[in-house]
Amino acid sequence: MNGFLQSNFIDHVRKAALYLTLLVVTFFICFPLLWALSTSLKPTTEIFATPPTLIPDNYSLEQYESLIYGKDMYFVPGVKYRPKTSPPQYFLSWFMNSIIVTLGSTLISVTVSTLAAYSLTRFRYWGRQFIPYFSLLGYMVPSIIFIFPLFLVMANLGLTNNLWSLVLGYVSITLPFCMWLMWAFFRGIPIELEEAALIDGASRLRVFVEIVLPLAMPGIIAAFIFSTIVAWNDYLFARIFMNSIQKLTLTVGVMHFFEGMHVNWGLMMASAVMMTLPLAVLFMVVQRHLVAGFGAGAVKG
Amino acid sequence: MAQGPRPARLSDRQIGILFVVPFLVTSVVFMGYPVAQAIRMAFYSINPLRPGQNTFVGLDNFYFLFDDALFWQSFYQATVWTLSSIFLQTVMGVSLALLLHVPLRGISVFRGLLLFPYIVPTVVIALIWRWMFNPEIGIVNHSLMSFGLIEENIYWLSTPTMAMVSTVMLNVWKYTPFVIICVLAKLQTIPLELYDAAKVDGAGTLRRFLDITLPQLKEVLIVVVIFRTIWTFNKFEEIYLLTKGGPGTSTFNLAIYSFEQSIANLRMGVGAATAVVMMVVLFLGSVLYLRVFKFAEEEEV
Repeated sequence: MNGFLQSNFIDHVRKAALYLTLLVVTFFICFPLLWALSTSLKPTTEIFATPPTLIPDNYSLEQYESLIYGKDMYFVPGVKYRPKTSPPQYFLSWFMNSIIVTLGSTLISVTVSTLAAYSLTRFRYWGRQFIPYFSLLGYMVPSIIFIFPLFLVMANLGLTNNLWSLVLGYVSITLPFCMWLMWAFFRGIPIELEEAALIDGASRLRVFVEIVLPLAMPGIIAAFIFSTIVAWNDYLFARIFMNSIQKLTLTVGVMHFFEGMHVNWGLMMASAVMMTLPLAVLFMVVQRHLVAGFGAGAVKG
Repeated sequence: MAQGPRPARLSDRQIGILFVVPFLVTSVVFMGYPVAQAIRMAFYSINPLRPGQNTFVGLDNFYFLFDDALFWQSFYQATVWTLSSIFLQTVMGVSLALLLHVPLRGISVFRGLLLFPYIVPTVVIALIWRWMFNPEIGIVNHSLMSFGLIEENIYWLSTPTMAMVSTVMLNVWKYTPFVIICVLAKLQTIPLELYDAAKVDGAGTLRRFLDITLPQLKEVLIVVVIFRTIWTFNKFEEIYLLTKGGPGTSTFNLAIYSFEQSIANLRMGVGAATAVVMMVVLFLGSVLYLRVFKFAEEEEV
């Protein structure tokens, strides 16, 4: 009895220590994001207060308002000095552009890779064995290596300074991994179910849509998440392909804020929060799939 | 005819081929061709401001590189950056994954929070880092000072050593979750019976980790370390957005060197040659790495 109590006590201490460790680690890792959120919710006067406050004394949406509506004397990206005007802010167009290119490239990438992976695992033709590995190799190649030749391709297609160049650019960097992931996934889906349906006289397309796609959903979701993250976070492509201020995406646009007379940290942190928010929402909805999908794709490889 | 007429229908095989065609076309046009073009460019002298005047120069671009002290400096810095980032990421990633693997109530909340940095855009982290590590008004110096850990402000981003430390911290913060995700996925597949058996044999926690967990993780860790090394070595955005390679050239890596040669010095051929060197180094690196581990495995057997 005494021994039981003792082990119970040790167990509690052990658990408490684990929770404490987790809390401390999580606090340190999440601190940068908390600090950005906290700064973005402060009025400008409190941002530079000493001692700094992690939980703002006064909450204010001032930073977000000036991000979206603009404010007198604010720095206008692209224009060197323009005092006492109320400059138009481009933040909302950048936001829309980011959403358009992210969704566009993700849809193309996931569709194309799903079709190809299905074909590669279910049909026999020359090259079906090495295409996936070749694709993985393509995934390793960093974009800095082929960004300039790709820019020339886009120029030849007449797509520079056009959001399509970004959509296609992001497809080029997400497609290899999506393909690898879907290929690994389809290989794990037993072929017998489809064969039975085919023998029963169902057409290939019907089998694909009604039997295969539902089974492949976890893989498709993982590819979707991966592709969204890559496209939303990219800086290099938008920096090289786009040159008019309204057509930038968030990542490149926001970096323009550093070119002003003085750096407005409140505005900066508000945009950091706004850029993270869509991904945070997505992440919360699909967190489980993220771990499962990466398990299938990145670890099996 | 039992099957009935089907003149307009595609044959099964045609559908299979049709499914893979979009993938092949996209890969070749937006990935294969640009990469091949990047390799070709390495043998030409190309000034982007004078198009149509490219001349074949053989290996001159490579001679230029090998004579350039900045190239070797960038190479060395990239190596330091990569090795320290990978070491820290792997150690922290494995420890945190083990911590997150403990069955505790509410562990999934901690999991979510600790994985989150992976999806935060690099631009956002760079913004937050610049704000937190600001020497005069940043929270980091303020906290260190108020805890009495430092006497005077550290210039995190404007002294060579500290700039390197800051970029490593950024990289470790963002990519440790990748290691966690992969390790966690593998941990969940280790059969519990192995541990029970070891417990019966009287093996302590450390022994069980060394004898069971670590060998099971070996394969994942090889894959993760190779992937992370390849990506980290070639990383552009992480460094460029935080320090632009500075102060001076103290955080240049090959990607930034290549970018600067192409954009600032208008030597696109030299930039492309750097990219070729990056590809070769990484290809050799991963082949070597796999070899080493193959040998180790064979000796064990």
